[in-house]
Amino acid sequence: MKLRLDKKDFKNFLQNLIDEYDLYAPVQLTEGVSVFKKIDQPGEVNLTQLHTQKPAKDVFFPQSEVMFRYEKVGKQNQMISMEEGKRERILFGARPCDIEAISIIEKVFVGEEYTDVYFLEKRKKTTIIGLGCNHPLSTCFCSSAGGDPFLRAGSDLFFIDLGEAYFVELLTEKGMAFHKNKFFKEADPKDLTFVKELEEKAFEKVGFSIPVDGIEKRLDLMGESSFWDRVHEKCIGCRICTYLCPTCHCFDMVDEGEHQRGQRVRHWDSCLSPLYSLETSGHNPRPTCRERTRQRLMHKFNYFPKNFNQVACVGCGRCILYCPVHFDIRKAIIWTSPKRPKRYERGMI
Amino acid sequence: MVVKKAYVETTDRMLRTLELSFLDEEDARAFHFIPGQFCELSLLGKGEAPLGIASSPTENGSLKFTINKAGVVTTALHHIEEGAEIGIRGPLGNGYPIDLFKGKNILVIGGGFAFTTLRSLIAYLIHPENRSKVNEITVIYGARMPGLLLYKEELNQWEKRSDLKLVVTVDWGDKDWKGKVGLVPNVLEEVAPSSENTYAVICGPPIMIKFTFPKLMALRFPDERIYTSLERRMKCGIGKCGRCNIGHLYVCKNGPVFNYAQLKKLPKDY
Amino acid sequence: MEERSKAIQDRIREKAKELLSKKEVDLVIGFGEWTLPLRTTPIFIRTPEGAEDLIWNSFCENNLAIYLHKFSQFKVGIVVKGCDARSIIALSLEKRFKPDQLFLIGVPCQRMVDRRRVKKAVKGEILRAHEQGDQIIVEGEDFNTTLRRDDFLYPSCQVCTHRTPMGTNVLIGDPVKESPLIETHPEIKEFEKKSPEERWRFFEKESSRCIRCYACREVCPMCYCAECFVDSSNPKWIEKGFSTSDLEFYHIVRAYHQTGRCSGCGACERACPMEIRLTYLTQKLNLDVRELFDFETGIKADTLPPLSTFEIDDRQEFIK
Repeated sequence: MKLRLDKKDFKNFLQNLIDEYDLYAPVQLTEGVSVFKKIDQPGEVNLTQLHTQKPAKDVFFPQSEVMFRYEKVGKQNQMISMEEGKRERILFGARPCDIEAISIIEKVFVGEEYTDVYFLEKRKKTTIIGLGCNHPLSTCFCSSAGGDPFLRAGSDLFFIDLGEAYFVELLTEKGMAFHKNKFFKEADPKDLTFVKELEEKAFEKVGFSIPVDGIEKRLDLMGESSFWDRVHEKCIGCRICTYLCPTCHCFDMVDEGEHQRGQRVRHWDSCLSPLYSLETSGHNPRPTCRERTRQRLMHKFNYFPKNFNQVACVGCGRCILYCPVHFDIRKAIIWTSPKRPKRYERGMI
Repeated sequence: MVVKKAYVETTDRMLRTLELSFLDEEDARAFHFIPGQFCELSLLGKGEAPLGIASSPTENGSLKFTINKAGVVTTALHHIEEGAEIGIRGPLGNGYPIDLFKGKNILVIGGGFAFTTLRSLIAYLIHPENRSKVNEITVIYGARMPGLLLYKEELNQWEKRSDLKLVVTVDWGDKDWKGKVGLVPNVLEEVAPSSENTYAVICGPPIMIKFTFPKLMALRFPDERIYTSLERRMKCGIGKCGRCNIGHLYVCKNGPVFNYAQLKKLPKDY
Repeated sequence: MEERSKAIQDRIREKAKELLSKKEVDLVIGFGEWTLPLRTTPIFIRTPEGAEDLIWNSFCENNLAIYLHKFSQFKVGIVVKGCDARSIIALSLEKRFKPDQLFLIGVPCQRMVDRRRVKKAVKGEILRAHEQGDQIIVEGEDFNTTLRRDDFLYPSCQVCTHRTPMGTNVLIGDPVKESPLIETHPEIKEFEKKSPEERWRFFEKESSRCIRCYACREVCPMCYCAECFVDSSNPKWIEKGFSTSDLEFYHIVRAYHQTGRCSGCGACERACPMEIRLTYLTQKLNLDVRELFDFETGIKADTLPPLSTFEIDDRQEFIK
C-alpha cells in the first residue's frame, strides 16, 4: 500500500506513536554522533546523519543487558527473570543495511536448537519502519553485499524522504495495521515517479564494484595464505569495527555483584580482543592480531556463509569511517579477488 | 543442584571432584545425557565454567564433575562446601558417537585431568546394559605422577576386570608405585592394539596428543576413527556468543567431540 | 600540492629507499594514502620500491609509535612528528626497546588538520580534499569550499610547543619556530572557570557516550600493559558494563596512568568514534606535572618520569 506523510504532520505522527508505543529512533548525542534510543519527545529524533554510530542492533541486542538478577533469601537463591516492557515497540529511521543486519543476527540467535529469548521477545514486539537512503555515502557498498539503499526486506513500513513529505509503503501485516493512521494520505502519482528517480540515483552512486560475490570460495583457498601476514599490520585491536558493525553479534556474560545479591549481564564482545579466546590455562588459540583479524574476516565472509548461505556484512561502511587507522574492508575484499592490483603481488599493500 | 559430596582427587590439590544431585525430582528425570557432553556450572556472583560430565548416564541420581583449579569460577568451586547450591545448564555439546561404537573395538587414551569425560565413556561402556554392544575395550591412562591420577579407587577396580584391558602409567613413579612407568605415546606403542574395526578416543594435554597421534598413524588408525574432545573458552555454550568457533563449527554445539578427518579440514584455532 | 609538504615527502621517500636498500632496517613505518579524503593510513614498507607509497601532508594524524610494540622483534625505521618522537623517548626511558632497534625519521610538524571539524563545516559528504598553501580545498557532489587550514587544527596541535621531533636519526627539513597557536587548550580555559560540580557534570556528560571500545587505549603508545586494569578479573577493579561510575572510572584511571607519560599527541581523542573530549584531561594533567615537577614527557632523554621514580628529596608536604 503506498501512502504519504506530509512533513508538517511528522511531529504529530511521532507523538502519536510515542503515546502508544515505545519508540526507538536516531538521537543525536552531540554533533556528528547519534545512536538509537527510546525517545519521549518528537523533537529528539535526528536524521541528519546517514547512519548512527551504534547500529540498530542495539535496539534488539543492547550493548549491555541484564539476563537475570539473583538474591539470597535465607539459604535459597532466588533468580529474578528480567521482563520485557509491556508495550509494543517501533524502530523508526533504520536504514536498509541495518535492517538486513537484524535478519542476519536473527539467523544465529533464533536457531533450531536454542533460541535467544531476549532477542526474540524484542524482535516479536517491534514494528520496523525503515528509511531509504537518498544519498548513500562513498563508503557504502550495500549493493555489493546483497542489499541496496532502498531494500524493503525486513521493514514493516518503509519511508522515503521526498523533501516536503515522506513516501510511505506498508509492507507486512504489522505494517498494514497502520493503514488507518490519521496522518497518512494517499500517495500522489508524482511521488512514485520521484521515488523511482531517487532509487536510480542512489543505486548508481553505490555501484556494484566490490567483489563480495564468490568470496566464500576464494577464502576457502586462502586459509594459510601470506595475505593474513599483511592484512593485520595496521590493526591496533580496538573494538570499534565490531561494536559499530550492524551484524557483529558476539557477546560476553559476566556476573556482577557477590553471592548475596547481584545480576548476570551480557555485553557486546569482540573477537579482536586478545581476551576473547584466551583460556584460563593461558593458552590462546588466536595469540596475535594476525589470527584475530583473520578470524573476523573469515567469519564474515567464509564461516557464516557456510552455515547460513549469506555473508555477514551488509556494506554499511561504518568500519571504514570510524577505524582509527583507516582500515578499509573493501580493500581486503578486493585483495582476495583477481581484481587485486599487481603491486599487491610484490608485497606492497 | 546441590553438592552431595566433594573431595580432592590429586595430591597437588588442584583437582577436586564434586558429586551433585538435583534439587528437583523432575529435573533429575528430564536430564538425559551421553558421555562426552558437558554442562555450564554456575556460581552466582562468580560466573560460569564449562565442565565435562565425569559420571556416566548409567550412574543414576547424581552428576560428577572433576574441576581443575585455574580461574575465578573454578577456584570458587574448590571452596564451596557440601550442601551448597550450584546452578547448571546442560547437557550441552555432541558427546561421543556411541552409535558408531556398536560392534567395534574401542581404544581409549587419556592423559592427566582430561580423563574426566573418558571416565564417563568407560563407565557407560562397561555397564552390563551396554557391555555387549561393543567388542574389546582397551584403556591407556597416564598422568605425570601417581598422585595426579584421577579416580584411583575406580582404576583399581577396573584393573581387576576381565572385560576391560586397562593400562595405567605415570611419567615418573614414586617409591610406592608398582605400576607402569612410561609416557603415554610409548605405552601405546607397546600395547599396540589393532586398528582393525577399532575406534580410538583420545583426550589429553596438547603435548600428549602431539606425540600420540603419530603412533596412532603408525598403527594405521584412519582419521575418521580417531576422536578427540576439544576445549575452548566458552560463555553461552549453545553456539550464540561466537567465541568457541573453529572455522564454521562451534566447539560447544558441533563439538566438543570431533574426529580427525573433520579437524584436518578446519583452521588450527585450538 | 602544498610545496613544503611535497619537498618533505620526496625526502622521506628518498631516506626510506636508502635505509631499505642498504638493509639498515627491516621495514619502514610511515603514512600512505588510502581511500578516504582528509585521511592517511599507517603503511609498512619492506622494499625500496615500496618507499614510493610514503606520503606527507596535514592529515598524518596517527601516532605511529604504537607499532613499535607490535614490531618489536624487527629493526624499524619510523616517520615521527614532534609528539610521536616524545612518545618514543618516553618509551625508551621505560625500556620498551633498545635504542639501536629504531631509526627515527623526524619531520617537523605543520600541525594536523581536524578532519571532523572540516566535515562539520560543510553540508554534504566530502569526496575529495587537497591542500594548497595555507588552505584546504574540499569538494563534494555539489560544493567546492576553501577553508583556512589554521582554523581547523586539532586542539592538541594548537597548543603544541614541541613540533620539531627530538632524538631523531635524521631530520627532514628545518626545525620549525616553536610557539603555540593558542596559549591554553580551549577546554581547559573553560574548565578552570567552572565550579567542581559543573566540571563533574561536563566530565559525566562526555564519558556517558563511551562505548568501551578501548580505541583510546589502543592508539596510545604508552598503553602497552600486557593486562590492562579493565581486563583483570582477579582482582576485578571495574565491571565491564555501562554504569556511569564504570565509565567515569575507566577514563579517570586511564588518564592518571598517563600522568607524567603523556606526550599530548591527541591520538586518543581522534580515535574515539563517539567524539568524547579526552585531550582536556591529558592536557590538564600534563600542565599539573609541569607545574609540580617541572617535567614534560619525552623532552629530555635522560630524565626519568617523576611519577615512576622516587627520590629521597621528593616533595612530601601532602603526607601528614
